[in-house]
Amino acid sequence: MAGTYETFAALHVPGNPVVLYNIWDVGSALAVIAAGAKALATGSHPVADANGWPDGQKVPLEFVFANARRIVDAVEMPLTVDFEGAYSVDPAEGGANVARLAETGAVGCNFEDQVIGGEGVHPLDLQVRRIAAIRQTVGDAFYINARTDLFLKTQTRDEALIDQVVERGKAFADAGASGFFVPRLADPAQIERVVREVPLPLNVIAFPGAPDKQVWADAGVARISHGPFPHRALMATLTEMGSAAIN
Amino acid sequence: MSKFDDFAKLHVAGDPLVLFNAWDAGSAEAVAKSGAKALATGSASVAMANGFGDGQEVPLDFAVSNASRIVKTVALPVTVDFEGGYADDAEGITANGRRLAETGVIGCNFEDQVVGTDRLYDVQDQVARLAALRSGVSRNFFINMRTDLFLKTPTAAHNEALTDQAIERGKAYAEAGANGFFIPGLADLSLVKRITTAVPLPVNAMHLPNGPSRAEWATAGIARISHGPFPYMAMQQWLTEQARAALD
Repeated sequence: MAGTYETFAALHVPGNPVVLYNIWDVGSALAVIAAGAKALATGSHPVADANGWPDGQKVPLEFVFANARRIVDAVEMPLTVDFEGAYSVDPAEGGANVARLAETGAVGCNFEDQVIGGEGVHPLDLQVRRIAAIRQTVGDAFYINARTDLFLKTQTRDEALIDQVVERGKAFADAGASGFFVPRLADPAQIERVVREVPLPLNVIAFPGAPDKQVWADAGVARISHGPFPHRALMATLTEMGSAAIN
Repeated sequence: MSKFDDFAKLHVAGDPLVLFNAWDAGSAEAVAKSGAKALATGSASVAMANGFGDGQEVPLDFAVSNASRIVKTVALPVTVDFEGGYADDAEGITANGRRLAETGVIGCNFEDQVVGTDRLYDVQDQVARLAALRSGVSRNFFINMRTDLFLKTPTAAHNEALTDQAIERGKAYAEAGANGFFIPGLADLSLVKRITTAVPLPVNAMHLPNGPSRAEWATAGIARISHGPFPYMAMQQWLTEQARAALD
């Protein structure tokens, strides 16, 4: 019996963020549960790396579903899947893909606005239609964590960029998103502004050298994920251990 | 020289090849970076990583596609822990071996336990199974014949009589065209030495926590050391520790 959408949604508390230590398979899910996790989140990059594919929707859709199903079947807590751009720019097709993802028992997904395999982010009006289509297909009880990649795609992380982030966050909320994810947003003052102006729980990503968890909590963050870093660190450790055994 | 030749030549009695077992393409890549000369999967690790029980509960399709992903990711020779070949009968073993070889792996482990039971196949039956596997793969495929005698018997009963049985199996497997002989569970070095002396195949030992050192295995005539599920289990523990630090 996997965790429910309601349990998962309730974990998003501004100021007391749920921490998602990202996983990629059943084994990593079990290891993270043993550490006391309250919910599970895959990262698309680690799933790709663990299985020999590049990131950017190169993991076959069928593998994504089967992997999610294996994890859901093995655990008793909510799972959210990093679903990149839902494997289609087309709103209806993206919605249908998310509906199939929901059938695995996953209670939510990340859905990003970058142009996969291209430049920059999708126009806001298109992204809003894509989110609305997903919401319409999947129903209310599914956590759509709408992600903007403006910070990943831009070097100048100034107030003008925050204006755009806020504009997107508000529009995503209106379109039916459950949460707002801004990878690489890190500055507490900028976070406070986004939290104040966007009516969605805010998700940021912890990275090596990122501010302390408490600093982000105090700024109003509701969810902290770890993206590709757990898998990368683990693989570096495996290389070290292998080296000690082999050489 | 082919990957198979490269791999076969790495088996040197007294200077063992060390295989730090992987379970997916990512772990294979990480082990390759550590200076490995070859890669081996462990069936228990593959099972645990993907939520299956060990003992051929990983679906064959998954085992084969996982092997294929690993071969495409790393340039080194790859050998797969293929348990009992996912079949009881000769035709099934031949067909499954062929599928596995088509992924580009250069060898496999093939065990003599009747998967899911406490029994081993009789020597003649296992020899026939080996012939069936060989007919599905080419001559250039390293069949590492594993006997489960020592895994199925308590350590206290790892004695001369059991070793006689292992030697009998090892010799029969050698005559039937095996490339290597794997004796997991045995850590008594004088018994190991008897086997490496009597069986005309490179002998593979399984590394055990608190077991013999690499130098001790080498002195006993071992040609290959596998790490089985232990790398995976160590990684799981490390991941839990890291996650705990992040979650608390």
